[in-house]
Amino acid sequence: MSKEKQPSIDPVVIVTLGILLVAIAVAMIAFPSDSNSINIAADSGLISQIIVAFFTGLTTGGLSCLAVQGGLLASSLARQIEQDYVEQTAQNKKKQKASIRTNSALPIALFLLSKLVAYTLLGALLGWLGSYLTFSPMTRALLMIAIGIFMVGNALRMFNVHPIFRYFSIEPPKFITRYIRKTAKGTDTATPLFLGFLTVFIPCGVTQAMMATALGTGSMAMGAVLMFAFTLGTSPVFFIVAYLTTELGAKLEKFFMRFVAVLVLILGFVTLDSGLNLMGSPLSLQNLTRNWFPSQAEANPVADSAQGEIILNVQNGGYFPATLKVPAGQDFTLNLVTDQTYSCARDFVIPALNFYKLLPDTGTVQVTIPAQKAGSTIFFTCSMGMYTGQIVFE
Amino acid sequence: MLRKTFKIPDMTCTNCAMKIESLEDDLDGVQEINASYHKLEMVIEYDEATLNEEQIIAAVRKKGYTAIPA
Repeated sequence: MSKEKQPSIDPVVIVTLGILLVAIAVAMIAFPSDSNSINIAADSGLISQIIVAFFTGLTTGGLSCLAVQGGLLASSLARQIEQDYVEQTAQNKKKQKASIRTNSALPIALFLLSKLVAYTLLGALLGWLGSYLTFSPMTRALLMIAIGIFMVGNALRMFNVHPIFRYFSIEPPKFITRYIRKTAKGTDTATPLFLGFLTVFIPCGVTQAMMATALGTGSMAMGAVLMFAFTLGTSPVFFIVAYLTTELGAKLEKFFMRFVAVLVLILGFVTLDSGLNLMGSPLSLQNLTRNWFPSQAEANPVADSAQGEIILNVQNGGYFPATLKVPAGQDFTLNLVTDQTYSCARDFVIPALNFYKLLPDTGTVQVTIPAQKAGSTIFFTCSMGMYTGQIVFE
Repeated sequence: MLRKTFKIPDMTCTNCAMKIESLEDDLDGVQEINASYHKLEMVIEYDEATLNEEQIIAAVRKKGYTAIPA
């Protein structure tokens, strides 16, 4: 019925937009040297963390949140649109399209504004809670693995692979859904505001990951800023897609959900892999492929290994060399050398030794590695499980 | 009051369950609806003097879903 008034916007345009945004985020991560320019401030790690949070929101966060919370937004818009439609049909059929467009923007904006405030407060609360908790790299690894499994399960649910995956979707208690429903009936500005606030109860997988990060900051202010940046990042995609979805209807929604499912699946595997890296597992993709294709691993330009000293360059783009070959059966000192390093590579972790240290942006930190048997391998990684490397004892 | 279970095979998320439960407000004679996305079903408690199975199926269809008596 309403299909006749749909504007001719190809869903491919929306998908292209999404891909473009993802590409920007990937580029930001792949070329961290660019981040030097934004790391002028003394607490540059903090700033880059905020920027990463923003871009995560802008790309994946916006899409995956929309998949989970889109329904709530739709509920707040449904009445508005329905009312506009009825009113305009009664008045003048020719004007109805323009009216729907004009009126749907305000509730979306109010919804997003409220969501922003809610998540900032949630971030503050998590940061405050985090100040009472300390997350070891192992705890964070387990958390990441759990989040990864949750995301993969959710993606498989969206693809309708097997009924079991439906259980990856958390059903809110009946009293909450009933309350939301009653609230969504209103057409005043308070409704989208309130529903936006309620999104804190149905966070998507990426948001949950960001919430875990906010918890990990252990600071009320930092937690709040991080969640603010992330939620702000989600807003443009949320707004654009939600706005167009109300115009295009179910056709786009179905198409869009598939796209989100693919993204969530990829992200789920990435998160899972990062968790495995952070655990020091040889089963992570990076560690597996490094062992399968040893030629790809950088050779061992080991410095002074005979003297029991070895250098590992910690750079914005990772660890060099990624593979260190050292003699077995003797202790050695690992010199971690940073030179204007601002990426998460600075957050150095050796899971097997339970070693974790935030390195200075420029300087050298020494770590004593105890003697290991020949043929054994110790993995090291950044605290996000993004950059990895290994020490091979031979 | 009658209590009946319907299979709703085309639910795709928990929000669908919420939409179906909104029939509580739209349909006269409904006491309570519990819809579950996990089970792809809804349990409806209704007054058989006011409402019948066909009307329920039609109302669910109007929401965009298919209700099949279990």
